[in-house]
Amino acid sequence: MSIKGGGFQKSSKASEEIPASSLADIAFLLLIFFMVTTVFQSDRQRPIEWPAAEAATKIDEKQKNILNIWMERDGVVYINDQVHTMEEVTTVVAPLYAASQRALVISVRGDREVPYRFMNQVQDALVAAGVVRVVFATDLEQSMQRERR
Amino acid sequence: MAVLGKKKKRVSDGVTTAGTADIAFLLLIFFLVTTTFPKDKGLSIVLPEPGEEAQVSQKNILHLIIQPTGIVDVKRGESQQIQQMRPSEIDGLWRQEVTANPNLIAAVKTHPDASYKYMIDVLDALHSANAERISLQVLENN
Repeated sequence: MSIKGGGFQKSSKASEEIPASSLADIAFLLLIFFMVTTVFQSDRQRPIEWPAAEAATKIDEKQKNILNIWMERDGVVYINDQVHTMEEVTTVVAPLYAASQRALVISVRGDREVPYRFMNQVQDALVAAGVVRVVFATDLEQSMQRERR
Repeated sequence: MAVLGKKKKRVSDGVTTAGTADIAFLLLIFFLVTTTFPKDKGLSIVLPEPGEEAQVSQKNILHLIIQPTGIVDVKRGESQQIQQMRPSEIDGLWRQEVTANPNLIAAVKTHPDASYKYMIDVLDALHSANAERISLQVLENN
């Protein structure tokens, strides 16, 4: 038996430490994985004032299955960062809707001050395109802040 | 007592790099945990199929007519009586009406010049009251 510290050589030469040299590689792999898989919203935000709703729920759909239609105060329609006239909405949306195997959810992002006639025209255009699932995008309204009208 | 020949204490002159991986991991985990992707929120509705029209008896319809001022005219079925309300009061009204008639449909008719936000207020109130049968129209002949 060897006495501890008695000057005898240790029998095992296996290191007691966990090898840490590959940690950086693992970190990089994770970093690259998340960089590649992250999908950012494809179109830019437009300057609109959101309407607020208490009952707003999260849109439970993948980002790629959401098509945003922006409605500005003067009735200008933006789809995928491009201006479209009201008549073009059906012809733009219908092929996209068909390409998604009817999984597309249309998120209508209207300014709170848009006259309702424009919203109605967009709805009619979407019905004509055969779209069924539509979300009126809003901000979440806190009930304490709800303004009385 | 210092013994002759003992080595001087050595101080390393390089910054230790052994901990950088730990720091990188901590940062990575921190951002993994704290990142929330902005999920869109909104009021979802189901639009009718093109050409789909349902015949509904007048007594099962609650007309909600939104005026440009944001005031809502409430009209029950065939009766001509109009009750004026604020959008925030629709919530309670719907709960009351739907217990009396479970087949009730909310017909939201918005004046073409009314702001979108008033329609959202009414839709919000209906969603808050768990209304499922909602029809959105634009007010005509007015």
